[in-house]
Amino acid sequence: MLYIIGLGLGDDKDITLKGLEAVKKCERVYIEAYTSLLSFGLSSNGLSTLEDLYGKPLIVADREMVEESVDDMLYEAREFGVAFLVVGDPFGATTHTDLVVRAKKLGVEVKVIHNASVVNAIGVCGLQLYRYGEIVSIPFFTETWRPDSFYEKICTNRLHGLHTLCLLDIRVKEPSIESLCRGKKCYEPPKFMTIQNAIEQLLEVEQMRGESAYSEEATCVGFARLGSEDQVVVAGSMRELVNVEFGSPLHCLVIVGKTHPVEEEMLDFYTIRPKSL
Amino acid sequence: MVKFTAEELRRIMDLKHNIRNMSVIAHVDHGKSTLTDSLVAAAGIIAQEVAGDVRMTDTRADEAERGITIKSTGISLYYEMTEESLKSFKGERNGNEYLINLIDSPGHVDFSSEVTAALRITDGALVVVDCIEGVCVQTETVLRQALGERIRPVLTVNKMDRCFLELQVDGEEAYQTFQKVIENANVIMATYEDPLLGDVQVYPEKGTVAFSAGLHGWAFTLTNFAKMYASKFGVDEAKMMERLWGENYFDPATKKWTGKNTGSPTCKRGFVQFCYEPIKQIINTCMNDQKTKLWPMLQKLGVSMKADEKELVGKALMKRVMQTWLPASEALLEMMVFHLPSPAKAQRYRVENLYEGPLDDVYANAIRNCDPEGPLMLYVSKMIPASDKGRFFAFGRVFAGKVSTGLKVRIMGPNYVPGQKKDLYVKSVQRTVIWMGKKQESVEDVPCGNTVALVGLDQFITKNATITNETEVDAHPIRAMKFSVSPVVRVAVQCKVASDLPKLVEGLKRLAKSDPMVICTIEESGEHIIAGAGELHLEICLKDLQEDFMGGAEINVSPPVVSFRETVKDKSCRTVMSKSPNKHNRLYMEARPLEEGLPEAIDEGRVGPRDDPKVRSKILSEEFGWDKDLARKIWCFGPETTGPNMVVDMCKGVQYLNEIKDSVAAGFQWASKEGALAEENMRGICFEVCDVVLHADAIHRGGGQIIPTARRVIYASQLTATPRMLEPIYLVEIQAPEQALGGIYGVLNKNRGHVFEEMQRPGTPLYNIKAYLPVVESFGFSSTLRAATSGQAFPQCVFDHWEMMNSDPFDPTSEAFRIVTEVRKRKGLKEQITPLSDYEDKL
Repeated sequence: MLYIIGLGLGDDKDITLKGLEAVKKCERVYIEAYTSLLSFGLSSNGLSTLEDLYGKPLIVADREMVEESVDDMLYEAREFGVAFLVVGDPFGATTHTDLVVRAKKLGVEVKVIHNASVVNAIGVCGLQLYRYGEIVSIPFFTETWRPDSFYEKICTNRLHGLHTLCLLDIRVKEPSIESLCRGKKCYEPPKFMTIQNAIEQLLEVEQMRGESAYSEEATCVGFARLGSEDQVVVAGSMRELVNVEFGSPLHCLVIVGKTHPVEEEMLDFYTIRPKSL
Repeated sequence: MVKFTAEELRRIMDLKHNIRNMSVIAHVDHGKSTLTDSLVAAAGIIAQEVAGDVRMTDTRADEAERGITIKSTGISLYYEMTEESLKSFKGERNGNEYLINLIDSPGHVDFSSEVTAALRITDGALVVVDCIEGVCVQTETVLRQALGERIRPVLTVNKMDRCFLELQVDGEEAYQTFQKVIENANVIMATYEDPLLGDVQVYPEKGTVAFSAGLHGWAFTLTNFAKMYASKFGVDEAKMMERLWGENYFDPATKKWTGKNTGSPTCKRGFVQFCYEPIKQIINTCMNDQKTKLWPMLQKLGVSMKADEKELVGKALMKRVMQTWLPASEALLEMMVFHLPSPAKAQRYRVENLYEGPLDDVYANAIRNCDPEGPLMLYVSKMIPASDKGRFFAFGRVFAGKVSTGLKVRIMGPNYVPGQKKDLYVKSVQRTVIWMGKKQESVEDVPCGNTVALVGLDQFITKNATITNETEVDAHPIRAMKFSVSPVVRVAVQCKVASDLPKLVEGLKRLAKSDPMVICTIEESGEHIIAGAGELHLEICLKDLQEDFMGGAEINVSPPVVSFRETVKDKSCRTVMSKSPNKHNRLYMEARPLEEGLPEAIDEGRVGPRDDPKVRSKILSEEFGWDKDLARKIWCFGPETTGPNMVVDMCKGVQYLNEIKDSVAAGFQWASKEGALAEENMRGICFEVCDVVLHADAIHRGGGQIIPTARRVIYASQLTATPRMLEPIYLVEIQAPEQALGGIYGVLNKNRGHVFEEMQRPGTPLYNIKAYLPVVESFGFSSTLRAATSGQAFPQCVFDHWEMMNSDPFDPTSEAFRIVTEVRKRKGLKEQITPLSDYEDKL
């Protein structure tokens, strides 16, 4: 049996009761560590808190393991209970559908235990989840790779008055370009995109495309460490948000569409006020 | 006695119509360096008496020892023409002082990259051909290169002394030999006819062919004799010229010119009658010491000798007399001044070959007009080791503007892409230097149209670079040079004492800098590899490495090995697919061989990544039968972005394709550099992207997902398209007498070589044999051949082409399998070729 268990966003205590029970039943516990990270980070310390809580050792599954050698895990799951822990929700921002498909093909039974995901947690700012358009990711631009297909999606969302959730790039244990090309393993240091960085890239693309999907004045909401004790939510124009210090990762950003009066009231709590007032 | 100073030289550098930049090119041992000395003598750097013996341009001890030139050397010469001789000069000029920047380059095929570097910075070439041996393989190679660079050639038929002293041939026979030599050269030139350059063939009657004896320091063109006789016969000089060549006969008995030989015993060809015979007579008189007869003859010719010179006898006397009568420098320099273009003239048509950017921007215009006030455009064609070990001069040519001491410059390396920061440096020039043979003179600045050496930039230039002013950020670089030979022979080097390793690493870096073509790399296994054109080239490189760049530290050298290439024979048997690591992206691809001749066109730079898409699609559709639209869908070339493989987009209506293009290209660059069979470069493969399935979100189809997938699908398509190995083949030219032929054929057969041409040289017992020989079999070939022919056969090997090995590299009994296994073992790879199933994903 393969349990795919959501861990939620905040800390070790966010796991659901059902999830915890499942973990305790399983002989092997894997934790996926590249599409997101728990707000306490991936330090050995953080891991051990989890291990203490579950009372058993954890196996860290990095991108390579999940994408390339996951079959071993699936074979194990045929024999005994295996838990695969995912930060957030198993089918939230990161889709582990491929894992389910493969498991089913191998005849492994799969049970999914849901939890909160960034996709629903952003509700905290007051913007209704019903009023969101397509989610986009903002990848790190490199000298040669500057994909801007998210621009068209934001354009469409704005046209319909919808909010846009922008997930910001995470690079944990990413292989360097050269090692990718030559098929060898060698990693770049982990990095996380900040809201500042995302806004700069967004504006750069706007300037290049010039279709006025948004501007420096567009209202946005920036989130940092969503779901944890010290989460930060700030609303303001892009120009204002660039100067806000959000602190350590993870960050995400919502570009606000047309708003309902109630939404505005809620948003108002988070809005930056000029210091002079 | 030096007749001129650096200041004088510097002054003429501003007179762009009075400059001639020229290289001396020829087959090995046809007498270039010796001839060059005669020219240098005229400029007063070495004494006239020893001209022919010093080889001024062979500055290295090993060059003097072997009697061959290895590195090309530049010399600036000052030459003053008399008003009289310039009378008939029609082009633009500025006074009668001339500056000749001359570059002597090696003739041995293994060093032809040096020739390439020399040609780039010159506008004209003096092609030297041995009058007996005629046009040889290297003459042809360099001529082709010269014309490719739009270098205008003039010819000199050299070693005339052999006709008179060694072979004693009569006039008519000699004429026929010369005629044949010139004709052969013209046949090659006619093949590379270029409308902008105009007619590049050479004609004695137009003064573009000289006849010289470099060893004895004399030479003439028909102009010399025409002048002499024009006054005597009272006819026009130009008319006289025409009569001195071709089917024009003169009978002194009747004093009549005829169009063919009348059969009368006194009737002789104009050339024989008026040029060949008088020279023969003088030489014979000198050699026989018939001084009483000699002095009146000389007086008639207007040649006066000094008292002490009159004491000379035999050969020395002959040499002196001939030098005084027909000084080589005068004839050759006049020919260059008259018939080779000045930079002002040459850069008008060369700009298209040179400049990579738009041909109507300020930089192109400055080059076109050779404008000293324009922005600086300078091309560094080679690095010359300086006398203080470890430093290098950057040697090159100023095409526009001026370069001066202390100037802050932008250095654009070969990998620079306009608008990016890669391979770009801003640095100051410490000194600008001009070259005068063995010594260098510092000057304040050097204007366009001249060659120059720069000090202080060597750390930022590997082999060549384009240099411009610091502020000229929009300038595109000058096109990189294309070499006619490939570094196909490699050796691994190791230091004897482990602690010398840093010396070796540093030494290799310097070696790579000092030679335009040698490639130094480090293998996966940690071996240091040096790749060169042939055995001799490597031998010289290794010597330089050890003695000059490593301070004499001892090294071990492996037996030479050969580079191979990987290609495919057929189209992939099916469309292959690979999934990205996250399984959300799929690439579908097929491989097929490129059309015949296309890889070569890419090598030559006729088809490449920076072409105008319209021009490219025209060439591809007209010459190679491509669909016009398809020709516009080439994503990239590789390896190194210019190599002879490509990726073509065959997809229809796929969204976001643009975003993954770079990732596919990046994967392709590496995959084409390290093929699936033995990690050798690929050659002649076209990869067609048939379809792609992508994740909706950009993060899930980034480089991390696409690059490895591209690499895998490229390998999968290579393996499904009947992969084959290519091996390098030399063209071998062997000259030998008839009795040696048996031995030659024997050795060739044993070494998988085959003869495709055997020709007797007219008038000699010598045979000329041309054969193809696999490079693998060429090691020690020269010595085996010499042994088998008792030293009568001398081979010249030059890389010719890649040949497909027909055997299947997967069949354990085949030759290709043996080679693949050997290469993999050497590289420290798994001996088994990675199976297709590792690269291909099935649905």
